[in-house]
Order: sequence, then structure tokens, then C-alpha cells
Amino acid sequence: MTNNETPQQERVLGGDIIITEGVKKWFGDFQALKGVTTKVKEREVVVIIGPSGSGKSTFIRCINRLEAHQEGTIIVDGTELTNDIKNVEKIRSEVGMVFQQFNLFPHLTVLDNITLAPQWVRKIPKAEAEETGMELLERVGIPEQANKYPGQLSGGQQQRVAIARSLAMKPNIMLFDEPTSALDPEMIKEVLDVMKELALSGMTMIVVTHEMGFAKEVADRVLFFDYGTIVEEGTPEHFFTNPQHDRTKLFLSQIL
Amino acid sequence: MAVAVQQHEKTPLWRNATFLKWLAQITVLVAVTALFIILGTQAFENFSKSGVSFGFKWLTDPTGVDIREGIDTSPDSGIRALSVGAMNTLRVTISGIFAATIFGTLIGIGRLSKNWIVNKISTVYIETLRNIPLLVQIFFWSALAITLPSLTADDVGTYWFKTSNKGFAFSWVFWDGGFWPWLTFVIVGAIVGKYVSRWRHRIQEETGQPSYPGTFRLLTILVFAVIGWFAWPLLSFLSPVWHWIADLVANLPPMIVPIVVAAASILVAALWIRKFFEARRTPAGFGKMTDDDWFRVIFAGLSGLIIAVLAFVIAGITITTVAGDRVSIPELALIGLSNIFDWLGNSFANNGGTPLVFQQPTVEIRGAGFVNYGTTGMVMSVPFFAVWTGVTLYTATYIAEIVRGGILAVSKGQTEAAQALGLTRSQYLRLIILPQAFRIILPPMGNQYLNLFKNTSLGIGVAFADIVAVGTTIMNQSGQSLPVVLIWMAFFVTGSLIISAIVNYYNRKMKLVER
Ligand SMILES: Nc1ncnc2c1ncn2[C@@H]1O[C@H](COP(=O)(O)OP(=O)(O)OP(=O)(O)O)[C@@H](O)[C@H]1O
Ligand SMILES: [Mg+2]
Repeated sequence: MTNNETPQQERVLGGDIIITEGVKKWFGDFQALKGVTTKVKEREVVVIIGPSGSGKSTFIRCINRLEAHQEGTIIVDGTELTNDIKNVEKIRSEVGMVFQQFNLFPHLTVLDNITLAPQWVRKIPKAEAEETGMELLERVGIPEQANKYPGQLSGGQQQRVAIARSLAMKPNIMLFDEPTSALDPEMIKEVLDVMKELALSGMTMIVVTHEMGFAKEVADRVLFFDYGTIVEEGTPEHFFTNPQHDRTKLFLSQIL
Repeated sequence: MAVAVQQHEKTPLWRNATFLKWLAQITVLVAVTALFIILGTQAFENFSKSGVSFGFKWLTDPTGVDIREGIDTSPDSGIRALSVGAMNTLRVTISGIFAATIFGTLIGIGRLSKNWIVNKISTVYIETLRNIPLLVQIFFWSALAITLPSLTADDVGTYWFKTSNKGFAFSWVFWDGGFWPWLTFVIVGAIVGKYVSRWRHRIQEETGQPSYPGTFRLLTILVFAVIGWFAWPLLSFLSPVWHWIADLVANLPPMIVPIVVAAASILVAALWIRKFFEARRTPAGFGKMTDDDWFRVIFAGLSGLIIAVLAFVIAGITITTVAGDRVSIPELALIGLSNIFDWLGNSFANNGGTPLVFQQPTVEIRGAGFVNYGTTGMVMSVPFFAVWTGVTLYTATYIAEIVRGGILAVSKGQTEAAQALGLTRSQYLRLIILPQAFRIILPPMGNQYLNLFKNTSLGIGVAFADIVAVGTTIMNQSGQSLPVVLIWMAFFVTGSLIISAIVNYYNRKMKLVER
């Protein structure tokens, strides 16, 4: 079961690209994040695990401000996330996000899904955007689906289109929120393969997932969330061989 | 070992599902047809006995009806008067549908706004206007407009826009002598533009260079419009051609009309049946026809035959015209068609002028100290204003709620995905949310358009000269109520069916592609 020839060791991590400092977030009375402090380096792959409701989604949604945090600081690629709309738009166009429910635009073809944002946000000419779009579809392995509509694709294919759609914006950072949780088992692998390839190519990634195989194989670091805080963090080896906290041990024993 | 299957006895007829289904369909068809025939003959007998005349002679009789506004204010026949009323109804309906859609959409978006003031204003607007009867609102707008200052001799002059208790006058573009030949140029331009756009598309695909098919298409139409603006008199050679066709049509033997109608109805039925069979043919072979399918085929065939027979029956009816001549229905049809070609002939003749003219309204002294708007520009009368504002604002409240519901029905994930890609609020509303909401909104929106159309009949409350008001006058003059009501019903049914057909067309076109 061990996976010693971990390929990520060949990737050279760069400087800190995401810095979060005491991030707190309330939904009404309920505190979903209770001070999250961590740093992510360039080209690093961070996997977040933890029980349901522990704030994993809330945390990564704060990074591209789909949720606004109320206390603490988040700095992404040198830009601090504040109320300044300009900063938010800049960060959103640099940070890609892949959702559990794919959230493809059902009224647009696969290729139009991919080329929409580059054309409107980056002002890239249509022909050029389509060329890049086709290359990305090639990369995620479904160029033949370009002119279909999302409703005509399988779940695994849809999620790969969603990844291609994010990549079309040439992001520096990719966030994944349980990208394989809505998929049938036989489709999970095709999506994970795309994500592995992406990690090897040097993309900075934060991945919320229950796929421990992926964490072991690809992650540089694993964060364990519970009740809105990072309870434990370390390398995958540390986690799966020698977890320290009781809650981590309990959680791992439940899912492994 | 094969188990011996118990030999089926033959199913008796009264337990045979297929037979029962057919029996039911045919019974219903026969019963409904019989009911109509019985009711029809009964009504006819009653009319004859009671001495109430029932006829459509008033359609062609000269009338003394004067209409306050419309394409012809002193029509020479009942049918002409009703057409003027119908045009007024359609004017309110079409402009009202556009205005209510735009305004309702804005209010609907306003209700979702996070801006407290915008949100509350939208809510109050909807809750107020939706809860006041439309007729009361129409009275209100009429009463309000009548409080505007009246026109006096001091007002005489030319204006861009002028309000008074005689209504609202504004500048407008009208068609002029060269309009129809010029429009021909524009239509040809649109057709050529389609091919130009295809050609540019092909270039784009072959070279990968952006080649602006949309821009080229617009430019083509524009070029044709500009050329046509000056070159339209060249088309006047078509004028004698149209007149020649008109003469030809007028001199056709009347019998040709039922023959053509019958042939067309049978052809349409045959084509429909062929299409139906074709749709069942798959690469795997011919699909199984259900009983319902067979019933549809038979019904289509029968309808075609019945219409064909009816064409000949109706061809035998003759009526009396304004001039007192007795003409048959086919003759009337040919005269009508011939008139259309004559009209085209007149429109294409070089009558001078330009394709379009821009006019400003004037205020003039008409007769002894009587001041009113002149004949130029567009004048919106007080009744038109009251009905138009009433139905528009009232329907807009419902449209706003439909739009709001449609937007809310597009999942939150769509907004989040769009935001995560860096699209701005106005971009994702326009590109992601509204196109999807539109699909949800369209069918209920169609209902509101139908309501608006039918509600214009409330204009009778403020004496708006629509088809209902004009019809009422004719009723009083001729004593023919049922025929007038029948024409109203036919008008509203036809109009509603057309609106439904347009909405359904878009609905099918916009439908999401699913697996
Ligand atoms: N929009 C919201 N309004 C109110 N409460 C919310 C909202 N979003 C999340 N929460 C609450 O915040 C807590 C953290 O939610 P979050 O979605 O981050 O959990 P999670 O770790 O991603 O869980 P899961 O594994 O089930 O996705 C949960 O208790 C949830 O109920
Ligand atoms: Mg979650």
C-alpha cells in the first residue's frame, strides 16, 4: 500500500503564494471558522480533510471570496482580500475553482463553457480562446465532446470540462472542493488522473477531498480540519502512519 | 423442460383493450361532431323562428360609425370599421407587450436587488398595482391625463413633444411614398447578408482568423438600405407587373378557389402523415405504431378531406356587397387577393417622396377657435394612453414576479461558478443567469401576453376605439349582436393562438439539450 516513489518531490516549491492569518467566519451566530492560519507555497499541493461541517468548504471559498471572512487576513499572490472589488476580481481571475456539483453552464456548449471567461474577462479574441479551449479539452482527454452540451456528458466528463474551464483562465492557483464526491466510482479515477497530471505540471492546488489515495500519492501537505480550525497538519506519511491527535486518529480510523 | 403454456382462449371484444380504446376515441369524435351540428341547427332554427335576423350583411353595409382614432376615422363599411378597431387593439397589445416585458424584467431584477431602496420600491409597486382592478387603473390614468392643461391658441406651433388633455403628441418616423420598394431592398439585403455571414464563417473556419460574420452581415444590410434609399424608384417597373397579376387573379374562374383550397388541405394532411411516418423510421427499422398513432393519422386524413369538402360547400354561398351585387365567397376571395396585388402595384409606383419621413407634431387652430393637434407626428390619445399605461403597468407586476422566480430558480452554483471565473455581476447576469432564467420564464410569460391582449378589451371603459368598442357601436346600429360577438371571439382566439405559437416556437428553440 505504500507509495514511495512520490513524484512531487521533483517539484521545487516556491515562495508563499497564499497566506492566511487567524481567519474567522460566522454564519449568523454560528462560527464556521475559528482562526485558520496557514501558508501555501507556489507549486505546493495541499489536501484538506476533515469531518462534515468542519469548515473545509468555507475555508477554501474564503480564498476566492465566494464567502467573505470577517476577521483575520488572507493574502493571495501578494494581494490582500478586502472589500475592494478590484482586488476581488483580480484574485478571482487568478484562482480557479472546481465544485462538487461541476456547475457547468447548461445552456452553452462544452467549448463555449471554456471560452466564455477568457473572452469576457481576459478579452482574448474568440478564435484564440477556442484554440486554447481545444488544447485544454485535449489535455483532459475529451476533445471529441467540444460541441456537445453539458447535459449530454457523463459526470466524470463534466467534471473534466469544469477543470478545463478553470484552466482556460490560466490561473496560478486551483481550488478543488470535493471534485469527485458526486461521481460514480468508475468515473472518479478519470478525474483524479487529470488532477494528478495538473499537480505534476507545477500547479498550486488546494484540494478538499475524501480520496486518501490521492492525498498519499500527490499531496505535499495534509491539513486536518475540525470545528473550524486546523487540528493537525503534516506530510501524508506523517498523517497516515503517525497521527498525533485523538480526533485525527478517530477520523482516519473511520474513513480508511 | 418447457412448461406447457395454457392455450389462450380468444379475448372477447368487450375485454380487448385495443378495441375499447378505439371505441372510446370514435365515440367521442362522433358525439362532439353531433353536438355541434345539433346546437348549430337548433340555434339557426330558433333565430329564424324568433324573427331575430342573423347575418353578416352589416359587414359590407355602409356604416355611420365614426372612430376617434386609427387608420381610418370614417370607415365605409362594417368590416372596415371593425378592422380599424382591430388595428387599434393590436397597436396597444404589441407596444404593451414590449413595454411590459422590459419594465417587468427591470422590476423583477429590482426585487432581487440587495439595494434596500430599489428592493422596497419594486415590492411596493408590485403589491399595489397587482391588487387594484385593472379597470380602476385604466380609469385612473384616463382621469389623470384629463387634468393636463388644455390646448389654447397660445400653444399653436411645432413641437418635439407636447402634452395636453387631448393626449400626448411626439415626433415619429413614418413611411412615405418610397417605403415598400425601399423595404424590398432591405429584405434582399437581409437575405444576401445571410449568405455573406455564412461565407465569412467559412473563412473563419478555414483560416482560423477572426472574420466578423455578424459585422459583415449588418454592413451588407446597411449597404442595401442606403442604396435602396436612393435607388427605390428603379423598382417602379414592378408596379405594372403587380397590376397585371391583380388583373389576372380577378379574371380567374371562381371555381379555382375551392379547388386550390381542397388540394392544399389534402396536400397538407398527406405531408403531415408522411412526416409522422418518417419520424417513426429509425436506422433500426420502422418503429411500432401505437393505436393512438393510428388514430392521429386517421384524424389528420379525415380533417384534410372534411376541409376539402367544406371548401366546396362554402363556395356555394353568396352574399350581397355594399354596391348591392350578389357575389359568391370564391369571387370575394379572388377580389380580395386581387386588391392586395393592386395595392402592391400602387405602392411600387413612383409616387415621389422618400422611403421614410420624420415628422414633428403641431398644434393648429381648427375651425372656430377650436384648437387641436395637427395631422403630423404621432398623437397618443387619452384613451390609448390610459389603456396602454394600464395594461402595461398591470401586466408588468406579474412579469416581474415571473422574472424573479425564474432568476431564483437558476441554481446558486451557476452564480458561484461565474464569480469564481472572475465575471462581473453585470456579465454573469447577462451571460449566465438571464439566458437560463429565460427558459423558465418563457411559458408563464406567454400567459401574461395573452392576458394583456385580452385585457385591452377593458378599454371600452374609457371609450378606447378598439375592436370591442367599435363592435358595440355596430351592434347598436344594426341590431346584430351575435354575429358581432362571434367576430370578436374569432379575433381574440386567432390573436391568442398566434401569440401562443410565437412563444412556443421560442420555447422549443431555447430548450436545453439534455441526454
Ligand atoms: N451559507 C451558510 N449559511 C449558514 N451556515 C452555513 C453556510 N455555509 C456553511 N454553513 C455552516 O458552516 C459549517 C461549515 O460548513 P462547510 O460547508 O464549510 O463544511 P465542510 O467541512 O465543507 O463539510 P462537508 O464535508 O459536508 O462539505 C457547517 O456547519 C454549515 O452548516
Ligand atoms: Mg464542503
